Amino acid sequence: MVRSPADWTERSHDLSRLLARAGVGDRAAFATLYERTSPHLLAVVLRINRDRAQAEDVLQEVYVNVWRAASSFDAAQSQPLTWLTSIARNRAIDSLRRLQTQPRTRAAPAGEGRDSEDDDVYDTVADESPGPLDLLSRAAEARSLAACMDQLSPSQRQSVALTFFQGLSHAEVATQMRQPLGTVKSWVRRSLATLKTCLDAAVQGDRASGK
Amino acid sequence: MDYSRKDLADALAAEYVSGTMRGGARRRFEALLPAHPALREATLAWSERLMPLTAALAPVEPSGDVWRRISDRLDRRKSVGAGAWERLSFWRGLTAFASVAAIGLAVLLANPRAVAPPIVVVLAATGAAASGAAAAPIVASISGDGTSLVARPIAPVALRPDRSLELWAVPTQGAPRSLGVLPGGGGVVALRGKVLAGADTLAVTVEPAGGSPTGAPTGPIVYAGKFAL
Repeated sequence: MVRSPADWTERSHDLSRLLARAGVGDRAAFATLYERTSPHLLAVVLRINRDRAQAEDVLQEVYVNVWRAASSFDAAQSQPLTWLTSIARNRAIDSLRRLQTQPRTRAAPAGEGRDSEDDDVYDTVADESPGPLDLLSRAAEARSLAACMDQLSPSQRQSVALTFFQGLSHAEVATQMRQPLGTVKSWVRRSLATLKTCLDAAVQGDRASGK
Repeated sequence: MDYSRKDLADALAAEYVSGTMRGGARRRFEALLPAHPALREATLAWSERLMPLTAALAPVEPSGDVWRRISDRLDRRKSVGAGAWERLSFWRGLTAFASVAAIGLAVLLANPRAVAPPIVVVLAATGAAASGAAAAPIVASISGDGTSLVARPIAPVALRPDRSLELWAVPTQGAPRSLGVLPGGGGVVALRGKVLAGADTLAVTVEPAGGSPTGAPTGPIVYAGKFAL
C-alpha cells in the first residue's frame, strides 16, 4: 500500500501500464488496477465524505469514470496515483454538494449531539482515526515536504490540513478554528503559496543535484 | 478574466485542487479547463504537489459489493455501445458543463431583451498558409455588453495533430490575452468576463497542441478580425 510520497512515484510505473491496458479495453488489467488502488482511493473519499455507504457509491462512480477515461490518461503529464486521487477527491467534493441539496436520510450517530454550535462534521467523527494534522505530519515524512511544512505557522498548517484532508470549505474551516473567514482565506492562500515556492525549489534542487 | 495569466491560473488552480473552491465556482472552473491550457497546466502542477499528501492515509478496503457493482455497470455499457463511443462519452461528460454554458450563452445572445444587440466578428484567414489552416473564416459572436463570446470556424480547420488554434483578444495597447483553444481545430470557444475590455481585434494563432506554452502567442496569426464594442 501507499504509505509515503516516495512510494507514490515508485508505484506509478506499474499503474501506468495497467491504465494503458485498461484504456484499450483490458478488463483484467482494470481489475488489478482496482485491487491495487481502491483501498487508497476509498480512504481519500472517506476523509471528505464520512458516510461509508455514500463513500462506496462515490468510489463506484470514480472507477466507472476511470474505465471510460483510461485511454485519455497521459503518463507524460501526470502520475497515475495523482490522476486517480484527483478524480476521487473531485467526486467526493461533488458528493458533499449533492448531499447539501438532499434531505439527510441518516441520523447523526448517537451521543454525538453536543452543543449545536459545535455540531459540525468534526464532532460526528467517533473513531480514533488520525486527525488532519497527524496526517499532514505523516505525509510530510518525505524530506522536502517536511522542510516545507516547517515554514508554515501552526495556524497555517492547521488550515491547510483541514481544507485538504477534511475537505472543508473556507467557511467551514473558519467555524472550526473560530477565526474570521478573511483570516482563514489568507492563511490558506499564503500556506499554499509558501508550499509551492518551497516544493518547486526542492524539486529543482533535486534535479540540479542529478537525482 | 484573462485565464492565461499565470498568477491568476495558479491561484485558481490552488483553490480548486486544495478543495476550498466550491459550488458554482468549482463547476465554472471545470468548464473552463478544456479550453484554457494555462489553467490545465496549473491544475496538473498543483495536483502533483498536493495529492502525494494523501499517501499518509491508512488504506480502507472497500466491500466486495463495490467491485461487483462497477463490473455490472461496465458489462451493461459494453452491450450498449462500442469502445469509441465510450471514450467519446467521457469527453462529452467533461465538456457537458461547457456545452451547457454555450447553450446558455446562445440563449443569451439570441435573447431580444438584451439591451445592446450582439456583435458578429468575422475572422478572415490571413493567408499564413504554411500553417495548413483552411480559408473558411472563423465567426465570433460577442454579446452587446462585451462580456460573452462564442467563436467557431465555419468549416473544420485542417491542422497538424501537434498543433492547436488559439483565440486571442488583442487590445489597442498591451499584450494579447488568450481566450482559449479551439478544441480539435473545429470546436467552439465560449466564455464570459471582461476579457474583451480595451480590445479591438480578435486573432487566431497556430500554437503547439494544447495552446501556447508561454501565455503569449508564439505562432503565426492565421485569422484576424476587427470589432468595436
